[in-house]
Amino acid sequence: MEFLGSAMNELCFTQESNRRGRLGRRKVEYDDTREYKSKNLHAERRRRQKLSDRLLALRSMVPIITNMNKATIIEDAITYIQELQQNVKLLSDQLLEMEGSSEEAVQTRSDEINAAEEMKNCGIMEDVQVTNIDRNKLWIKIILEKKRGRFTRLIEAMTYLGLELTDTNVATSKGAMLVSSCVEGSYGDTLTVEQTKDLLLEIIKSI
Amino acid sequence: MHGEIGCFDTNSMVQGADDGIGQVLQPPPPPPPMAGRTINIHNGFEENLKMSTEELENLKLSKEGLSYHHSYLHHQEEDTSAAREIQLQNHQQMAFNNTHLMQDSSNQVLAFTSSSLADASTYTSTADLFNLFHLPRCSASSLLPNSSISFTNPTHTTPLGFAGDLPMTDTASASSILYDPLFHLNLPPQPPLFRELFQSLPPHGYSLPDSRGSSLFAGEGDDHVEGSGGGGEGGLYQDGDGEQQFDNGVLDFTWDMACMGKDREAGKMTKHFATERQRRQHLNDKYRALRDLVPNPTKSDRASVVGDAIDYIKELLRTVDELKILVEKKRCARERSKRLKTEDDSIGNTGNESCSTVMKSIGDPDQSFNNGSLRSSWLQRKSKDSEIDVRIIDDEVTIKLVQRKKINCLLYVSRVVDELKLDLHHVAGGQIGDYYSFLFNTKIYEGSSVYASAIANKLIEVVDRHYASTPSTTPSTSCY
Repeated sequence: MEFLGSAMNELCFTQESNRRGRLGRRKVEYDDTREYKSKNLHAERRRRQKLSDRLLALRSMVPIITNMNKATIIEDAITYIQELQQNVKLLSDQLLEMEGSSEEAVQTRSDEINAAEEMKNCGIMEDVQVTNIDRNKLWIKIILEKKRGRFTRLIEAMTYLGLELTDTNVATSKGAMLVSSCVEGSYGDTLTVEQTKDLLLEIIKSI
Repeated sequence: MHGEIGCFDTNSMVQGADDGIGQVLQPPPPPPPMAGRTINIHNGFEENLKMSTEELENLKLSKEGLSYHHSYLHHQEEDTSAAREIQLQNHQQMAFNNTHLMQDSSNQVLAFTSSSLADASTYTSTADLFNLFHLPRCSASSLLPNSSISFTNPTHTTPLGFAGDLPMTDTASASSILYDPLFHLNLPPQPPLFRELFQSLPPHGYSLPDSRGSSLFAGEGDDHVEGSGGGGEGGLYQDGDGEQQFDNGVLDFTWDMACMGKDREAGKMTKHFATERQRRQHLNDKYRALRDLVPNPTKSDRASVVGDAIDYIKELLRTVDELKILVEKKRCARERSKRLKTEDDSIGNTGNESCSTVMKSIGDPDQSFNNGSLRSSWLQRKSKDSEIDVRIIDDEVTIKLVQRKKINCLLYVSRVVDELKLDLHHVAGGQIGDYYSFLFNTKIYEGSSVYASAIANKLIEVVDRHYASTPSTTPSTSCY
């Protein structure tokens, strides 16, 4: 009789879920319904287990707990998150206030000076190389002196002049920056090697 | 037709409504002169209405007697009226001994009478009659298989349990055979399955007439369902015709009767529905509120909301730690710079050297301070088309960016990186299938206090803005 009772429960349960059209598991045949009922039951159990595990984990993270039921866990989590967000805001405002000291500017300038010196010491020269890979693709290699914001300016200039970098690789070492990349014409036009090389040299000089 | 006196159990009424009702009307008058009575339909109705309770009782007895298993055997034969008389009297004798069934039978009688009285047109009135008679505990299951629960359209089917006066259709004969034996077993009015079923499906059971009721009953009506209530109903509904109407009436009856029988409980149940619904609504509101707090909500099912909340809490804790370290560092730096500046001035060093000494001295205390606490934090931000991952260890920031291919975001990201005063050390990336993927290794410039979430938020904001503003282009080589 227990089995019958549980079967009836399953029947009720699945009747309801069938009515709601859950996942379209409407089955006409009685035996099939039984099988689908139990599959659904397992899935449902697993789902509920997953949810309860996660709720437990959430509860373990929140320091202030009032009651131990589902609703209050979520409530407490909401309050705790809001509290943390307020903390973050407070601290970041504090940090902003303390910003803007003079040492920073001095620091960067010294960095740049060091970089230029290093490059000279290692004998690295600024250079541009362009090769043709495909009908439309070119491969470029640029060595520049690393300066603050130079890379951004380089990219900007290239973009404005219709060169688009598809695969890029940038490495810095000893005060120099190496840019190697595949370049395509932004507007679908083909580029010649010579033109591109001249263009790039111009760019490097100007930035 | 005539021989069907005893076939009232699950008999569906003959298509000839007149005959059926005529048959029904025979028992109502007191038992002895039952035989040979062919009462006009209309007269019968009136007589039934005027019946007293005693008559009903008698009627019930006779019906019970008639409902004995002889009935279903003879339903298809045409007996003479005399033979019928004898049968009736015999059955009545047997019925008198069977007091156990009297109560329910009276209900049945009432039910049947009212049902039989009602035509298809006046069908709705039967419900009122039932309320009028105040049938207690007449749920589907409490009544025996021959019970009135299985009301079917009087024009189409005969109600169960009627004392053999109702003719039975051929089609329903088989079903009636099934349920008669159960009747004579004197089964106690048990509500095994159906009552529970009814009460387990409260919210819908009361409102949904047709589909659910018929499905429920029909499903139960298979041969192998042995429950007394269930069996009866199922058998009845095998006739497809009058089902629709009946489901309506049956469910209404059941609900009414259940309510009347358990008034308190039914009232409480409706109150419970309201409170339960409210509780569920509150809970859903809370889940939604939690979801709105989290920066990157993806799925909106409960488990994912909780999972996202857990990750967000961890992220917030990391951010708070990071900020605390930064503030501390900043404060220390400021204090030391102040101190050293006064020292330098007093010593009287010139320009660069003093600056360098100042910087050096600031550097060392910072290092010593930070020995124990290495600043580290990690963030992830996802939006519809892009994904940003920012990791900070000490002063190195690693930014990973994945974006659906639409615009070349290299330019924008490097702009932002410059704004944030990060020193680009290494960039790698390109086009992978449909996506652009980039990795930036940067270093934080000394003295700058930028923290992870600021970086991430700014980046994703910029990227999304540009993404949105750029109209989608055809998938050609040009991407702008």
